[in-house]
Amino acid sequence: MTDIALSARPRSRSVAHRILAGAWATTEMKVAFFIFAALAVLTVVAPFVIDASATKITVADRFLPPIFMEGGRYPYLLGTDQLGRDLLLRSLIGLRNAFAIGIVSVVVMFVIGCAIGIYSGYRGGWVDVVLMRITDVQMSIPVVILAITILGMSRPNAFTVIAVLVLASWPAYARVARSVTLAERQKEYVRAAKILGASDLRIMALHIAPSILPSIAFVAVLDIARMMIFEAIFGFIGIGIQPPTPTFGTIISAGTQYLLNAWWITIVPGFLLALALTSLNLMGGVLERSRNLVLQGQL
Amino acid sequence: MAFAIEFFVRRLSQGLLIVLLVAFVIFTLLRIAPGDPIRIILGPMATATAMEETARELGLRDPIPVQFGRFIVQVASGDFGHSFIRGKQGGASGGSQDGAPDLSQRAPVMDLILTALPYTLILASLGLIFAFLIAIPIGLAAGLNAGRWQQKLGLYISSFFVSLPNIWVGVVLIYLLSAKSGLLPAIGYRGIAYAIIPAIVVAIEMSPVLIRAIAVSIAANVQEGYFNVGQVRGIPRNKMIYRHVVRNAAVPLLNVFSAQMIGMLLGGLFVVEYIFSFPGIGLLTINAVFQRDFPIIQAVAILASAVLVLINILVDFASTTIDRRLKF
Amino acid sequence: MATEPIMRVENLSVVLDSAAGSRPILSDVSFDVAPRSVLGIIGESGSGKTVLSNALINWIHKPLRLTGGRVLYQGRDLLALPEQAMANLRGREIAYIGANPTIALDPTLPVGHQIVEKLKEVEPGISEANARKRVIDTLDAVRIPSAVRRFDEYPFQFSGGMMQRAMIVDALVSNPKLLIADNITQPLDVTVAAQIIRLLRDLQSAFETSIVFISSSLGVVTDTADDVIVINAGRIVERQPAARLTAAPEHAYTRELIAKVPRLWAEAETPEPSPANDIVLEVRDVERTYVVRDRTRLFGENRVRAVRGVSFDVRRGESFGLIGESGCGKSTLSRLLSSIEQPDKGSIKVEGRDIAGLKGTPLLAMRRRFQLLLQDPYNAIPAHASIGRTIEEPLRIHGLARGAALKQRVRDVMTEVGLSPDLYDNLPVGLSAGQRQRINIARALILEPSLMILDETLSALDQVEQARLLALFETLQKRHGITYLYISHDLAMVRRVCARIGVMYLGRIVELADNHTIFENPAHPYTRTLLSSVLTVEPKPFLPETYLMEGEPPDPIHIPAGCTFRTRCPFASARCATEDPHLLATAEGNGAACHLEPGHLPPSSLLPAPAGRAAACLET
Repeated sequence: MTDIALSARPRSRSVAHRILAGAWATTEMKVAFFIFAALAVLTVVAPFVIDASATKITVADRFLPPIFMEGGRYPYLLGTDQLGRDLLLRSLIGLRNAFAIGIVSVVVMFVIGCAIGIYSGYRGGWVDVVLMRITDVQMSIPVVILAITILGMSRPNAFTVIAVLVLASWPAYARVARSVTLAERQKEYVRAAKILGASDLRIMALHIAPSILPSIAFVAVLDIARMMIFEAIFGFIGIGIQPPTPTFGTIISAGTQYLLNAWWITIVPGFLLALALTSLNLMGGVLERSRNLVLQGQL
Repeated sequence: MAFAIEFFVRRLSQGLLIVLLVAFVIFTLLRIAPGDPIRIILGPMATATAMEETARELGLRDPIPVQFGRFIVQVASGDFGHSFIRGKQGGASGGSQDGAPDLSQRAPVMDLILTALPYTLILASLGLIFAFLIAIPIGLAAGLNAGRWQQKLGLYISSFFVSLPNIWVGVVLIYLLSAKSGLLPAIGYRGIAYAIIPAIVVAIEMSPVLIRAIAVSIAANVQEGYFNVGQVRGIPRNKMIYRHVVRNAAVPLLNVFSAQMIGMLLGGLFVVEYIFSFPGIGLLTINAVFQRDFPIIQAVAILASAVLVLINILVDFASTTIDRRLKF
Repeated sequence: MATEPIMRVENLSVVLDSAAGSRPILSDVSFDVAPRSVLGIIGESGSGKTVLSNALINWIHKPLRLTGGRVLYQGRDLLALPEQAMANLRGREIAYIGANPTIALDPTLPVGHQIVEKLKEVEPGISEANARKRVIDTLDAVRIPSAVRRFDEYPFQFSGGMMQRAMIVDALVSNPKLLIADNITQPLDVTVAAQIIRLLRDLQSAFETSIVFISSSLGVVTDTADDVIVINAGRIVERQPAARLTAAPEHAYTRELIAKVPRLWAEAETPEPSPANDIVLEVRDVERTYVVRDRTRLFGENRVRAVRGVSFDVRRGESFGLIGESGCGKSTLSRLLSSIEQPDKGSIKVEGRDIAGLKGTPLLAMRRRFQLLLQDPYNAIPAHASIGRTIEEPLRIHGLARGAALKQRVRDVMTEVGLSPDLYDNLPVGLSAGQRQRINIARALILEPSLMILDETLSALDQVEQARLLALFETLQKRHGITYLYISHDLAMVRRVCARIGVMYLGRIVELADNHTIFENPAHPYTRTLLSSVLTVEPKPFLPETYLMEGEPPDPIHIPAGCTFRTRCPFASARCATEDPHLLATAEGNGAACHLEPGHLPPSSLLPAPAGRAAACLET
């Protein structure tokens, strides 16, 4: 990954390659990537390195502040919560879970949404009208209302959380994929493929999808962060993954009761989440800008 | 004129159909969701026969399409039914009482919504104002200075704001501005000051989308031929910006507003009201979910989607009025 | 010249900065513009002429950079003026019109209002009513029909030609002393371009404006300008009065430029007459109408009659041409012929089999017989697939070959069209337009079709590349017996390669005849109008004074009753308004849809061509 910029010969590489190379050439991208990579490594390594527990209740160690504050002590680098559990470990595990949910849900909504969107845009006619009205209906129900209705009424777990996120967000992908397909369908290479005798399925799968999906995929990076925030919100309201599994929402929610005396229980994990999401969003933003530059022929 | 009439006839009829479909989806979803509302109305001590009787009385044992039809006829006359839980004077009744419930003692859903609505409107408008105050200067600067530091600043700020979970921002602001320093009140509502911190949270959630949308559409229009040609034709750059670039950029902006922001605003309000115990529609709804108070949930969902659909129509009309090339 | 020049350019130099260093675009350019004169500047694309036109109004931006020289206007150096002072001159005393009128105005506001906005900007005191009146008067002056109504219409409701007229209004409404016209006829159809040039000449004397007229077409410049400057690779190579430039060019480059201009009449290369073979493509009474929504009426719809009963035959082994201006239905016809759309009525028979309404496997089998090559070489090939992968696609679709045999066939066809087989695994990124068009040709050729439809296939290419590909087409025709149907607006190319030609106007073929009849003695007034509008460096048999009328084709929604050309026809009679003429072919297969008796049109201003010249062959 490090030497993409060095090895890139922009004129002879694919569009996706040039976008990556262009993004990597910026400082923001490198900084964001290293922060994100460091957090990712930490979530995997930390449980083996830190001599504390994320789930074991240790009454004697309750409400310990972070180690750099008076009263803080090893091994609780960022302090403990109201049940004496290590906050850093809990946050890192929460981050890992949130990221897993974010990535799985985005992949699923991307696949479903884009498939429907391409089909709808390419076919046009009544198929398009029906599919787009369905997205209208779906998009007319705010995500949070849909989520609290479904999750609040059922027994939430990772699977239902992902299902709700996908259900609420696929229409956005379908819309984008459809509008790009509408423009793409007019292009001469599609007409050329038709004249050669290519079937509709072939044109959609081998011509349109490879030309439009990469750019939508770059935008989808931003959505991973959005889904992670939703996961936190669900946890906070109490309709996310249930305790004892650590999630940001439940940690923050529980911490609010002790805000005045032990602010770190809410502030610390939120800060870690915000840091992870900022780096993710920054990467997404830089990628998107790089993509625009490439498409405008400036890179 | 003919265009406007046709536009609204076409779009309002389509919109009505969409809202009906949403209503049906929500209605069905609530009927098949686990958790028996009768148990909630009558409380844990009710006998099986009493429950069956009440259920039949309320029409809950009829087939779903029949129930839905009855419901829609009611809604058409402005009646969204009565809350299962809440009494007329506010406060929950039910559960603790014995014997048959008297639904006429329960608050009409429409009344509950109308009581909560002004609070939500205050919060929403204040939040939007704050969001525009943040986003317009940053977005304009970023859009007009593509490739320079202003654009990067826009990217950083929007990347940062979009990464802040609203629940966390809410708690942090309560801690800093209210609990720690006592600058502003935060929980509940006893005056406009109580809306300020929640509105800031709403604005932080909304502004990144706005910043990006403004920056992108302004930057795109500055690259259009007419912007350069206009200056060569003798119209000063600043006049080209506020007379033409802003006008043209308004179309994609309006689109972002209707497609993304209104939905976000509604969702954001729910969460923020919950965090701050702000007595608006959101709090009403979240409590209703936990209490299985179906009439409130379905009324709010249907009204919310109707608002979304209506705003969509108005925005599309505004767009086609600004840019006559758009089809409808 | 005795009088003081209105503008003097001295030693102007501009470079282009890039990562690889800076490259000179203009070097040491010096010239004068005399008052009340038209100075023509001719140069090929890439010669730096647009940069020059921008430098004249001090509108040079990164990555371009001024490195020296002065542009003196009324004694002041424009390049040294503060931006504010320069902005006060632009659009006021020095007006500029660019090559692309369709993007020049804000698309969301009415055209007239934007011109008023400019007028009020440059003349702050003027009242709204006065400004409006002056704009409408000027719109009238450039012969925009019903100017009062057009004043309130939007840019997208203007055709390219009408929009260019509006831009001329916009430039002249402030009575500028100098007008810089940069390639303003380039995107326009020939008859419209000819009208614009005539208009500009008229206005120049009326408004007493000096004009710097920049173009890449020698015919346009010599037709317009008093003096002509020839610019090559950023340097001035020659300056002469327009008439002398073509008669006695001094510089070798100028001679080369003149030689490159295609000739339609003098020493024209023409193809062999069509062989009397069987018919490959038989088109009968094909019609296509689109329905669009009308926003001025409640639930209103308009019917756009794009193709209205087209019939013609193409014989095996010949090259047949369809010509016409934009909006004549060429593109719709091309979609119908390539079976991307179905005609509403009529039949399209390829080798005796009707493809209209054919679907599924039978259509797939027929597609091998006819192929269409598109205009845009950049968009016609997918960017994300390797070249070999793109060319082998048709073989995979039709299941004609696989494995090593497939690769071999792709390599063979690449060699045949002049592409190195080494390019097999490369992406098309970085290939020239000509090379891309060869990929396109290879991809069609690999199916071994008997008919190839060339829809503006060569119009995106420069003349050298165009000539090479025409030679390739001819070789392929000889080797494989392929039949070509050229759909084009390029009269010179059609003159060179097409044995028989159909002229389209407003969704119909108005004249169908052999090459010599069409170009030397056409029977339809529209064909003559087309030929009279061609800007060449040779004497023309049909002069614009006789045939070119104002106005543009009616839109295909409101088609006039009777003969559709009568609204623009100088010879229209009462009969034309009521009776729609039909195309009646003579024994030789020639015919025109016109009520005029043959021989009632004015004779050619050139001597009739000797009969023997018809045998002249296309050289290879």
